[in-house]
Amino acid sequence: MKLVRQTWLLLRKDLLLELRRRESLMTMFFFGALLLFVFNFSFELSPARVGELAPALLWLAFLFTGTLGLTQLFEAERGNHCLDGLLMSPVDRGALFLAKTCFNIVLMVLVELTVMPLFWILFSLPSWRPLPALLLIAFLGTIGFCVLGTILSAATLKARARELLLPLVLFPLMIPLILATIRCMEALLRLGELGDSLPWLRLLIGFDVIFLTVGILIFDWVVDV
Amino acid sequence: MLVTVHQLAKAYGYFWALKDLEIRATGGERIALLGPNGAGKTTFLRLLAGAIYPTRGEIRFDDAPLTRQSARERAAVGLLTPGEHLYDNLTARENLGFFLQLYDKEVGPKAIEDALETVGLRRWADEYAGALSSGMKCRLSVAKCQLLKPKLLLLDEPYGVLDGGGVDLLESFLKAQSEQGSVIIIASHHIARVLDLCTRAVILDQGKLIFDETRREPWDSFARAFGAFLPGGNR
Repeated sequence: MKLVRQTWLLLRKDLLLELRRRESLMTMFFFGALLLFVFNFSFELSPARVGELAPALLWLAFLFTGTLGLTQLFEAERGNHCLDGLLMSPVDRGALFLAKTCFNIVLMVLVELTVMPLFWILFSLPSWRPLPALLLIAFLGTIGFCVLGTILSAATLKARARELLLPLVLFPLMIPLILATIRCMEALLRLGELGDSLPWLRLLIGFDVIFLTVGILIFDWVVDV
Repeated sequence: MLVTVHQLAKAYGYFWALKDLEIRATGGERIALLGPNGAGKTTFLRLLAGAIYPTRGEIRFDDAPLTRQSARERAAVGLLTPGEHLYDNLTARENLGFFLQLYDKEVGPKAIEDALETVGLRRWADEYAGALSSGMKCRLSVAKCQLLKPKLLLLDEPYGVLDGGGVDLLESFLKAQSEQGSVIIIASHHIARVLDLCTRAVILDQGKLIFDETRREPWDSFARAFGAFLPGGNR
């Protein structure tokens, strides 16, 4: 219960700061939309090929957008050594990890909710029916991305050129998640159901659960690096 | 409160910032932590505050070791560094409210108002901390410590940004805290001022403890110990 209360307290503070600065959300939204426009102009996709390629393009747009959010994740704590202030307080470091993860999930979901319909329009997808299921898969992928991203964002906090280092460390570890999300999205767009992509969905959920647990357990050591 | 530091050492890579430190401090003591730049003062304070962990040795508060799991022990420690540990985009009032909740302190809005009034920031309660001057931020940190009431209060160079009124406010707060049984440790280069306030002096040099005595007059041994850092070897 204490962990939940502390997580909410830290998350509320992050949301309030973002509401005042609007730096991360605005940047992520415009970057996500811009990527979709670029992809749309670059690839002349026939309706038959949209189901094959569009999920990868959409998920890549989310990943790049999310990476922008991750590089800004501890920005509020970098000023005035606020991270030290949090680490010295009796707050559970697991709560700090959960709050930062949830904050990045909130930002990414807000971006996805606005960018996904734009994707539908730009790529002239025939039916809106798969949209809710696609959003759900994107949400599961977003959880995994934010969980692992938060761990690595904290680990690279004191590194020089962390904006360059973070994606270099993050993307290789994200390969199972990227594959699973794209395979699930592809099946949804082509068949309207998961079909034989169910094992990929299991992998996606497993990735989320494992790294969420690992994050809570090791975050204390990660921020101390 | 009893603070026991045993064989404490901290290394950054191959560099030992602190080596085998042994100190005991009891409630009511006000300790001046002195030494030249790079002596290990800030590292020592950050170790005591639980912001970093020792490479070797241990810190105990009333016989309970300070470890990664010591939330209760960390709650008893306050570190006051001017202008730090405050969110620029939260107001003065919100900063105090946030940290009070973080420390699980049941304090009403009236207490926050009173604390802001005491440090002379009542008029700026709804200003963002980022808009406050360095001195005002330091006063806000003092208000934070007044509300959190730490049993071990650590201060790192608190005098640099405060005006005369601010210094008086800080010193009267520190005296009141130590009279209530808190241990106060102040790292500063304002030697005369800090010695005037403190009941004991500790000098570090290159991570080692080279002087630790309770104040008494005349204090010739302190003058000799500290004189070693001054040009010509004299105080």
